[in-house]
Parts: sequence; structure tokens; C-alpha cells
Amino acid sequence: MTTRAPLLAARGVSKAFFGNPVLRDVSIALQPGRVHALLGENGAGKSTLINLLSGALRPDSGTIEVDGRAVARMTPALARQAGVAVVQQELSLTASLSIAENIGLGAYPKRFGLVDYRELAARAKAACKLVGLDEPLSTPVGNLALGRRQMVEIAKALYRRPRVLILDEPTSSLSATETKILTDLLERLRGEGVAILYISHRLNEVMALCQHVTVLKDGTCTADRSLEGTDAAGLVRLMVGRDPGDLFPKWQPSLSPAAAISVAKFSAGLMRDVDLDIRTGEVLGIGGLVGQGQEDLLLGLYGAIPARTASATVNGVSGLPGGVPKANALGLAYVPADRKREGLHLIHPIITNMMLPAFARMPALKLRSRKAEGEKGKSLAAQLAIKGDLQRPAQALSGGNQQKVALAKWMPHDPLVLLLNDPTRGVDVETKREIYLMLRAFAAAGKAVVLLSSDTPELVHLCDRVAVVREGRIVRMLERTVLSEEAIVSAAIGAERRKVAA
Amino acid sequence: MTAWNDSAGGRRARAILTSRPFLTLAMVAAVWIVASFVSRGFGAYGHLRYLVELGAVIGLVAAGQTFVVIAGGIDLSVAAIVTVSAISLPLLSWQADPTGLASVLAVLALTTAIGVVNGLGVALLRVHPMIMTLAMATFLQGLLIIIAGGSAVTAENPLVHWLGNARPAGIPAGILLWLAVSVIVLTVMHATPFGARIFAMGANPLAASLSGVPVTSTTLTVYGISGFTAGLAGVLVLGMNGQGYVGIGDPYLLASIAAVVLGGTSILGGLGTYAGTIPGSILLVTITALITVVNASPGWRSILFGSLILGLLLLSGREQARR
Repeated sequence: MTTRAPLLAARGVSKAFFGNPVLRDVSIALQPGRVHALLGENGAGKSTLINLLSGALRPDSGTIEVDGRAVARMTPALARQAGVAVVQQELSLTASLSIAENIGLGAYPKRFGLVDYRELAARAKAACKLVGLDEPLSTPVGNLALGRRQMVEIAKALYRRPRVLILDEPTSSLSATETKILTDLLERLRGEGVAILYISHRLNEVMALCQHVTVLKDGTCTADRSLEGTDAAGLVRLMVGRDPGDLFPKWQPSLSPAAAISVAKFSAGLMRDVDLDIRTGEVLGIGGLVGQGQEDLLLGLYGAIPARTASATVNGVSGLPGGVPKANALGLAYVPADRKREGLHLIHPIITNMMLPAFARMPALKLRSRKAEGEKGKSLAAQLAIKGDLQRPAQALSGGNQQKVALAKWMPHDPLVLLLNDPTRGVDVETKREIYLMLRAFAAAGKAVVLLSSDTPELVHLCDRVAVVREGRIVRMLERTVLSEEAIVSAAIGAERRKVAA
Repeated sequence: MTAWNDSAGGRRARAILTSRPFLTLAMVAAVWIVASFVSRGFGAYGHLRYLVELGAVIGLVAAGQTFVVIAGGIDLSVAAIVTVSAISLPLLSWQADPTGLASVLAVLALTTAIGVVNGLGVALLRVHPMIMTLAMATFLQGLLIIIAGGSAVTAENPLVHWLGNARPAGIPAGILLWLAVSVIVLTVMHATPFGARIFAMGANPLAASLSGVPVTSTTLTVYGISGFTAGLAGVLVLGMNGQGYVGIGDPYLLASIAAVVLGGTSILGGLGTYAGTIPGSILLVTITALITVVNASPGWRSILFGSLILGLLLLSGREQARR
């Protein structure tokens, strides 16, 4: 296609950790002015390949090339010199520093040996403008919602004026509008000749944005080709190595008129005076732009943050739980979005993580039976296809498997209402499908599922109803018959009012 | 026998041999063996028994401290609580209590209550544990000076006297007490849901509370336990010493924390075991005894003690950074 030397390339690289090959003879070439997609399931070796390209790791064999010349020892410093910037999947921001300080971190402009804050502010502001960040630059990053933090991370990469930009699942915590800003930005950078490597589990984004694709499966390259003439199903086949079934299970109504949770004039955190009925046997979606109060709705119902209400009935008991142990006793379970920070105990064994809700509810001084715990753990692992030794710490698992553990720990309690906060964020296609099947089966068994999601297709295909939240209120309740991505997005940004007015 | 290493029993044996409690125990044994060759009389049964008896006081204080540290906190008021116990017990003894049991229970209730107040400050007022317990220690020290002044008070409580001096079957009562407490502590820590909640709280308090762990009441209990065991140590030290005075508990603050960390419990919380704190306590009294043998001035002894603890922690106590 082009005879120009790639800005950054890997030639036949292999890498093994502790004798386990993670990459085998993989080549990839990033051309200027091209958005290159890197696809693969969790654990296929994508992150390792990025680490090799950015100098964080060194290959066991094979070479890394910059501008067509082999680099003997690629280091992070050399990569920065070559203009390589990486937006990591795990956010690398410091919560207590401001937006501007985070963006400039490690590359502060200096004046007389001191940090030149005026220059820093000017350059950080320019980077923020590119990604549509309008928060004051002095805001501590810890005060931002996850999606906004992701935008800061991208601004941080842009601040360094990269020639090669590597993005590892940048949209997994972004709302639809933020995603749009990002894709426009990437289009523009591409026009300016930047080489972009784009990793995502959302295939429609990849199809719309990228020109070239490399697919990894179990550490080997299964495709390196132009995206022209391929379709999403073909890509999934390359990733999974077999024909894709439907990602979403067939929707069947399992609604019943009985309400599992019913609140009137409910307020918690950003949510103000919300009336909501959650019925048994339904998957109720919660949509909207990121950070409009959706999370507070779930946490308030779960009793994890203070909440007020005019009247409430939860599984037949009147009044809000008012505390997590009480909510658990009423049959509520909550799976948080940030599984590393809120969902799991990473340093503890997988099995201990699975048993924790049980430990929280058992009489405090009843003697534990390790044998019974082991059997319970084994059956949960089998049920959710969690592989490997359950005595390993949870941090040894891939993101998708960690999410399964976060779900699995509630299963023994047979919750009546499952509150889920973005359960498929950063999870590969196979695991997503497994989770979707589980949720529908759950609803079919007469339980209620509340699914807060930043992934709009998920809301459309999986939910019986979707409540769209804007500025702390439910602005629209979309029934199954009128569910579409357009309907959700337009309600989320408040476009429909204008349409009515016009 | 090549399969030995791969069998389940082999794996378990190797896990025990490389565990921190075992390594600390091995260190104690090594120090004892070397010291008994170097110093005449160090290795005598009577001397070693005496060392373990001294270790019992540290071990009791460190029992509560282990709970608190695993739960992600720290208790800097233990030394002051030991003193409270050793001073208020003689003052509390009354005629209608011939065995002395009632006054001992009353004092333990008092020190437990002090611990619970620490827990209230940490859990409800959200004061950092270091600040809360340090403030509590300072408060208690002031109170003790007002109540007891500079004079020592003599204990005339029969139970306390028995605990400090009796040797049923040749074993000092203090060691038996420590043994009993150790069994209970290890059981609660590793074989009950309460123990599992403490580990979860220490590793990730947010995830623990979202999993339904009652964080407030668990925190109160943990600091209450620390108050209780520090009080128990105060009773024992009073019995061994005969008299209580302001400052009697002072050596046990650094010692209790050092014993916990030497035993392999993470100072960051969430990982550890009392099984390591036990040899850690004995290692500490052994070092103290060795320094006494060296026959240096008190100033140099203190400097030596501090340096040795630091050195030992550098050898064995450094932890991997957490992601």
C-alpha cells in the first residue's frame, strides 16, 4: 500500500513469561496516517505487544524498528524520544494531582529549574481542548468520573505531541458523546500523519475508524490485513477461531407485573426525586452520559451511600435497606464497575474472594470448613468457567475472569435483585456473551436485574426497559418496543426536546 | 522418591518450610544455639524458659496488635493501656474479692472499653488510627500521672500474684496463659468468618464493605480486642513485677509492632498471621537478653536494640510493593 518505512514496527517478536509463551513470532508495522486495529481476546497477548513496542518489556527474540532501523535495546526513554505515546488500559493517573499536573507529569516545562506552571497550564489547556475536557485544570483527578479520567489520560498522551499513538481500550469507560469526540480526534490526527494503534473490544468502532487490522489469538498473529472487505463476523471468527454465534442471547419476555423494588421521590448523591419500579423477571437498563448520577442510584438502593425517599418497598419490605448488610439480607447484590478497587481483594486467593459475602453473613465465630469452602468454590468456578487454581491471588486473573469472580461471589446467595455497574467493561467477547446469557437466565428465573451500562448496544439488545438518566433524573423510560441506540443517545443528550420544539 | 516434591504432602511441607512464621522460628533457634555457645548459661533450660516467659508479655500485647494491623490499622496506645491495667488493678482491689478474679475482670473490661473508644474514633469519626490511638495514649498518660503520681503501687491480688509466680507442672503460669490466648487467637483469625472479615477489611476496605462486611462493628471489635490483650499483658507484667508504676508499659509499644512485622504480617494490612508474631516476640526478648549480656550502658543498649530491629527487618521484613 505504501513504500514509506513504518514509524514503529515489530519484526518476528516472541516473549515468554516464566516459560509460558505469550507472543510467538508476531510482526506488526504502524504506518503514518493509518489507524491500525489490534484485536484479540483477553489474554491473547495484546498488552504484551504494546509493552514491547513502548520499550516497557524487551522481546526474547525478534526486533523493534523505529523509522525502519532496528533498535538494539528499546527502552521507555527511547520510545518517548521516538514520539511513541501510550494510553494504558489501567489508568496511570495520580488521584491527588490536578488535571494539568497529571497531563504534564514527567515532562513539565521548566524555567530557571522550577516548574513553569504558566506554560504548563497553556499546553495542558490545548491538550484538553482537543479531547473536549472543559473542567477547570486545577481539579484533582480523583474528583473526576472514570470516563473523564480516561479523557485526561488521552490528553496526557497528546501533550507529548506523539508521532505514534497507542490506545489500549480507550472507549471502554467513555460515553457515546465522548467516544464521538475521540473518534473525530483520531481522524484528524491520522490526517496529520500520526500512526495510531487502536485496541478495542467494540467491533463497530473498529469497523468505522480503522483501515488495517492485526488479530492476535493465543499469542500468534492470525490476520494482518486491510479492513476493506471484512465484516464484524469475520473479525470475530479470526479472534475466537470459530464461527461467532449471536453475541446477545435471543430476547424473550419474562416480565411479571410484580415489583421487586419500588421507590418514590428517591434521592441519593446526584439523583433527585426519582420514581422507579423495578419488576421481577426483567433486565432494567440504566443509560445516559457518564456521570449523570446513575451510579448513585445503584449505590443508594444498595445502602452504600445515604439515600432519602418518600416511600420505598424492597422485596416486600417497606423502607430502604440503609446499609449494605441489610441490603444483602433483603436479597440485593451489587457488582461494582471498578473491579480492582471496589470489587475484589486482589492480594487474596480467588476462593477467599468468592466466599467473602458468605463470611460477611455467617455468625461471626462459627467455625469455618475449608473443605466445604473448597467444594463450593470449585462448583462456582465450574459454573462460570473460571479456570485454574483457586488458591492463586485474584490479581493473577485476566480482567474478564476477575469480573466473573466478582459475579460469582454473589451466586451462592441467590440474590433477588442484581445491581450491576458496567459489568462488561474491558471484557472480551467470549466472556461478554457468557455474562449476557447469565443475566437473561437470571431474569427468566424471576429475578430482577438492573444493568447500568456505558455500552449502548448492550442496553438495546439485552434489556426489557431502559431508564435514561440525565442530570440526576430519569428523563425517559424506554420500553422494549421503542428501544434503539438513537432513542437512548438522543434522550441522554436531551436532543428529543429540541426535536419536539422544531 | 522423585515424586516427593510434587505430591500434595511435599507441596505442603515446602510451603511450611518457606513460610514466614517458620523462618522467624528458625532465626530464634539459630540465635539461641549460637548464643549458648558464646555465652555460658544462656542455653540453660531455666534461662530459656525465663526468656519465653518474658516473651509472653510482648506476645499478649502483640496479639491484639496483630488483629489491628491485619485489619489495616495500628494501635499506638497499647503501652499506655498496659500501664493503665498495671496501675488501676492494685487501686481497684477490694476486700469482698478474696480470689482477686472480680477486680481482674473489672480491669479487663476497662481496658477493652478503652480499645472500643479507639475503634469508635477510627470507624465513626474517621480519625486516622495513628492519630486516634496516639491521642488516646497521651490522654491516658496524663490521667495516670494525676491518679498515681510518681509512686509505685503494690499489688496484693492473689490471682495476679499466682499468674506472675506460679509454675504448675514446672511451666510458668504466664506461658500457659500465652499458650491459651495463642490457641484462641489463631482459631478466631484463621478458622472463623470474623477472621476472614478482618483480612478482607485490611486488604480493601471499600470492596469489603460493598461485599456486606459490617465494617464499623468489626473495627470496634478489633480495637476492643487490642485493648483487652494489652490489659491482660498489664495484669501479667504486674504479677511478675509485684508493683505497677507509670511507664511500666512503655517498652511494649515498639516491641509489639516489631513482633508483628518480624513475624511476616504486612504493615499495610490484609496479609499475615499470629503464628509469626509468636516467634517474633521470642526473638525480641532474646535480642534484649543478648544486649544485656554485652554489658553496655543503657544508652548504648537502646541504640543497639533499635539498630538490631532495623537490621532484622531489612533481612526478612521487606515486602513487595502492591499494585
